[in-house]
Amino acid sequence: MIKRSFFTLSQPRLIYDSVEPDPKEPESIPIPPNLILLINEPMDNTKQALIKKGDAVKKGEKLCLYNNSNEYTISPIAGTIDDIDTFLDDFGNSSTRLVIKNEQDPESEADSETFDLKDDLASADQYLRTLPGAPPLKNLASDDVKINTIVITCTDTDLLSTTRQYVMHKFWEMIKEGAQVLKTITKVPKICITIPENSSIQGGLDSILVFKTSLEYPSNLPAMVLKDHLDMILPAGKTPEDMGVCFISAEAAVSLGKAYKTKSANFEKLLTVIGKKGAQYRVRATIGTPLDKILKTVTISANEQDRIVIGGPMKGFSTYTSQHPVQPDMDIVMIQDKNSIPEVSDDPCINCGKCLRICPTNVPVNVLVRYLEADQYDEAADRYDLDSCIECGLCAYVCTAKIPLFQYIRLGKHELLKLRADV
Amino acid sequence: MNNNKLTVSHAPFWHDGDGLFKMNLNIMIAALPAVIFGILQFGIPALGVIALSLSSAMAWELIMNVISKKKISIGDLDSALIGLLFGMMLPATSPWWLVITGTFVAVVIGKIIFGGIGANPFNPALIGMSFLMLSWKAFFDFDAAYINYEFDFTALAPLAALKFQGPAAVAEFFPLSDLIMGKQVGAIGSTFGIGLILGGIYLILRGYIRWEITVSFIAGIIVTALCFNLANPDAYAGPMIHLFAGYTLLGAFFLATENSSSPANRIPMFLYGFFAAVMIILMRNVGVYEDGTVLAILLFNLVNPLIDNIRPKALGKGVTNA
Repeated sequence: MIKRSFFTLSQPRLIYDSVEPDPKEPESIPIPPNLILLINEPMDNTKQALIKKGDAVKKGEKLCLYNNSNEYTISPIAGTIDDIDTFLDDFGNSSTRLVIKNEQDPESEADSETFDLKDDLASADQYLRTLPGAPPLKNLASDDVKINTIVITCTDTDLLSTTRQYVMHKFWEMIKEGAQVLKTITKVPKICITIPENSSIQGGLDSILVFKTSLEYPSNLPAMVLKDHLDMILPAGKTPEDMGVCFISAEAAVSLGKAYKTKSANFEKLLTVIGKKGAQYRVRATIGTPLDKILKTVTISANEQDRIVIGGPMKGFSTYTSQHPVQPDMDIVMIQDKNSIPEVSDDPCINCGKCLRICPTNVPVNVLVRYLEADQYDEAADRYDLDSCIECGLCAYVCTAKIPLFQYIRLGKHELLKLRADV
Repeated sequence: MNNNKLTVSHAPFWHDGDGLFKMNLNIMIAALPAVIFGILQFGIPALGVIALSLSSAMAWELIMNVISKKKISIGDLDSALIGLLFGMMLPATSPWWLVITGTFVAVVIGKIIFGGIGANPFNPALIGMSFLMLSWKAFFDFDAAYINYEFDFTALAPLAALKFQGPAAVAEFFPLSDLIMGKQVGAIGSTFGIGLILGGIYLILRGYIRWEITVSFIAGIIVTALCFNLANPDAYAGPMIHLFAGYTLLGAFFLATENSSSPANRIPMFLYGFFAAVMIILMRNVGVYEDGTVLAILLFNLVNPLIDNIRPKALGKGVTNA
């Protein structure tokens, strides 16, 4: 954990980790006996499900819950469905959890199903949403937004993670292939790529714009990339997609390129794992692998009251089970010992102004939090710029009173969405 | 499969390690040089006043916690800091009941009834001080307070002397080096200029007070006093005596910078510090008070919510008042 420095006249600086100069091969995690897959659609007992417990699945088979479902997952192994139940995330959204029993012959690598991929977005969106890196094909294929710029990010959005940078180092040529595929299927004219400013990678990128992003957090967040490199100010409450810009991770670009070459999917996700003392491991695991298998391989034990953080120390979320599966968009898993978990408090804001000085978007957090604490969400959005927050988490990181500011802001946005939906 | 219960909470999962206790402790440590000097200068009665002030402030908060059935909150040292700053503003000869009444007003009326830490619109220590100064004015006549002391320097309160004898006499009695080194009569914690400045610089470097307020405050004192001085050197003293006498430095580093009663945006901080200082000099040069620091800062605490609305535009949003 990065602590406050003794002299803090200037801002605390949080620097993104860089990938080591000559990175080791990631440790491969064997496919476990049970894989857990999530489908981003709640179970509905009134409908006739297409899949049920005991069904056999093939490697690469597309699994949907219902006839007209828009959401699906792809099975990374051959086996049978062992269980189907509901999975709740940390904001109470429910999705469906499938447990697939591994019945693959470990000796002979089974061939994956091949997909009928054409050079358009619709067919890519049919099969490739759950590729490692989670390409945002749903957004790209959606008719509601018109994407005119694609940004491939070789920079990790959160601190500590080096997964995307590793992909950039190892698979630079394949990122270029992926960019070509993206260009062909999306017909988007403008493709950009972000790389860390200290990276030595260069060249060979005709017609792709290269943005060198600063090493200081939060410069790799989408809103900051828009502001610093595309000269666009993200209007409050809008997403980059609304502005016609779509972000796609380097790993997603690589797996898209591979998928179009082989007409089949790849299921191996790269992950950065951070141990309790900050030791860094890099692993390659099949999507759906429960996290405890990975922790076992790198010999970290998650004990009572420890915290498993998925997605980085500033923006991630913590899971309640070490059985949480590896997801396509999961770049980093961090384990915190129970003794190193910083406490939060219910003290009120003391108006020290540290949050104001560190906020990259000038949100008046000190006043905002008073409205959020009092459930005045409309007022908070209208007068105190709730919608301008880009969710970097820096305000809560520096808060002297240890107020869970970021959580208040996320809760406020969540409640506001509900309020606005009701109107 | 293990069934350990994991801790689940929300992002961010890191914290910079700062806290209320640490912040208040640091401010108290920064005040120590001036306090220790005051105790050496004015003897054991000064120690008594400081100790009583600090402990009674904490006791009042504890009593209020118990009465209002709230969480015991003296652990954050906020009332201890109020007590310490309050004691620093008292003369060493203050009677015990004056101290206890003052801390009652400071902690209970100045802070607790507004909702406790962070909710006070005024600096609590100044609320207590202004209450005492208006009620028992005689105890704050520093010349009378130290009548039984023997000092190796002019035993006159500089600002009172300035008010009644004019700048010419003052320049003779109080060389600048004496004022800076604390060779002056005054409150326990306000005489030792060097100590206050060092403590204040420590706090600025540690990020516990906002340099904008302090710098603009001192600039306000110097600019305004200089304007008066240049306009009529016979009637108005130069900036240095205003800066190093009375509560000015204590105000610049410890009182005006109190978190919840001062602005947090940059332009408002400059305005707040500067105009509070202008008000002090106006009170001293034009008003009836010898030292207007307490009332001037309280007045600008009042203005704080208004001027703190001047703030930069948030990303992607038009703010009507920016």
